[in-house]
Amino acid sequence: MTGTENTGTPERNPGELSGAYALNALEARERAAFEAHLESSEEARIESAELSDTAVALGLATAPVQPSAALKASLMAKLSSTPQLAPLAGPASTRTTAPAADAAPAAPGLAAVPPVPPSAAGVGSRSGSGASAAERARKRWFQRPASLLAAAAAAVALFIGGTFVGLGLAGTSGTSDSFAAQQAASLAQLNAAPDVQRASATTADGHQATLVWSDTSSLSALVVDGLPALSGDKDYQLWYIGAGGAVSAGLLDTSVSASGGTAWRVLDGSLTSGDTIGMTVEPKGGSKQPTTTPIVAIQSS
Amino acid sequence: MLVLMTADFAADTESTAPPSKEELLTRVATGDQAAFGELYDQMAPRVLGLVKRLLIDHAQSEEVTQEIFLEIWQSATRYEPARGGASTWIMTMAHRRAVDRIRSSQAGRDRDTKIGIRDLAVAYDDVSETVETRIEHERVEKAMSRLTELQRQAISLAYYGGFSQSEVAAQLHIPLGTVKTRLRDGLIRLRDELGVAS
Repeated sequence: MTGTENTGTPERNPGELSGAYALNALEARERAAFEAHLESSEEARIESAELSDTAVALGLATAPVQPSAALKASLMAKLSSTPQLAPLAGPASTRTTAPAADAAPAAPGLAAVPPVPPSAAGVGSRSGSGASAAERARKRWFQRPASLLAAAAAAVALFIGGTFVGLGLAGTSGTSDSFAAQQAASLAQLNAAPDVQRASATTADGHQATLVWSDTSSLSALVVDGLPALSGDKDYQLWYIGAGGAVSAGLLDTSVSASGGTAWRVLDGSLTSGDTIGMTVEPKGGSKQPTTTPIVAIQSS
Repeated sequence: MLVLMTADFAADTESTAPPSKEELLTRVATGDQAAFGELYDQMAPRVLGLVKRLLIDHAQSEEVTQEIFLEIWQSATRYEPARGGASTWIMTMAHRRAVDRIRSSQAGRDRDTKIGIRDLAVAYDDVSETVETRIEHERVEKAMSRLTELQRQAISLAYYGGFSQSEVAAQLHIPLGTVKTRLRDGLIRLRDELGVAS
């Protein structure tokens, strides 16, 4: 051993790296050297597999920590826009049903699988229509004051009718557990709908937004990647924009996305087939009608 | 904890026995979101527990845990049951991701270097453990006690601290070659104590 210590040159005896490799304690160059060695030695592969399994025992010995409910909800929301990799060629791969498999780059092995950015997902992406829907939404809001009045009236009517829960909930800012649970259940129901559809667009500041909707269930959800948090006196607000004007669909909480995650919300109220869903920045607690230009608008058709 | 899509599950499974993690992972590979939710419920506390052991910071650990599960979703198609259990596959991926995060952020460098050395039992206080995890923990702790103090230090720094072998060498003021030997010999000893064989 004394002859090979700490030289900084390529490994003369890569076999001795098996322990460090299993513990992820190698730098990239050392790891490459060791993996090349694995290719050439069955014995080394067996030892390496055993030591990796041993390392897993160390991992399983750590104390479990319960994740927040928001983590699962955010994760489940991301699945729809995250394509799965194509199975590696081989006798085991009899499946041919991996969604969006052809969009995934071929990767030499698991260790080298890169994260696929959601923007690479060709799932229901129609950026063109998103932009034009935003334009139409703008026209609707800022050139037809009559429909704004109608929208305000509709919002008030819904509020009185008791089905409008968005503003009230949003006023509390932090998502309570029961609210999170209710949202998660709705999202699950939406994703399980037989006619679930998706369309994507990019927000004004470059974030990927995906509208998920189902006409039969009248449910819809807006999912936005990495949406930045707003200053304390502002909120993101969602809107249904139909023939009758704009109707609030609740606020979008960014407490998850601010740390790099995905913000999402199942919209309050019911989706009418063909509605455009828009999002604006509003004073904290939301507005009765949109007061700013939408940063994204996506049509549900 | 939320239990999503329970109804779907009841419809999908004929038998009353809950599906194994391997079975769930295989179903995830076909785009089955309900199976993914179930697998998440079973594995997320283990994954987060490990990640948090390395990263310490809870928010950052949740973020990395989300990345790990997205990778599970993406690459479930590459999982081969014949080559090992689902939890092995997942925990291997989790550790690699946590280490990547440490190496990619300067914040990781600033952590107390004693983190890795600290005794296995220290972080194991009031946790929502099950009998299963308690037994695993005790088994590993016992096996760890069979190592030399020097082997245990090096392995803890590398695995729980996320330090590279060069960093371990620098911290313990020993030659890199000695670290390689301690890591390998220590892990082989652990393997034998734990009865791991492929």
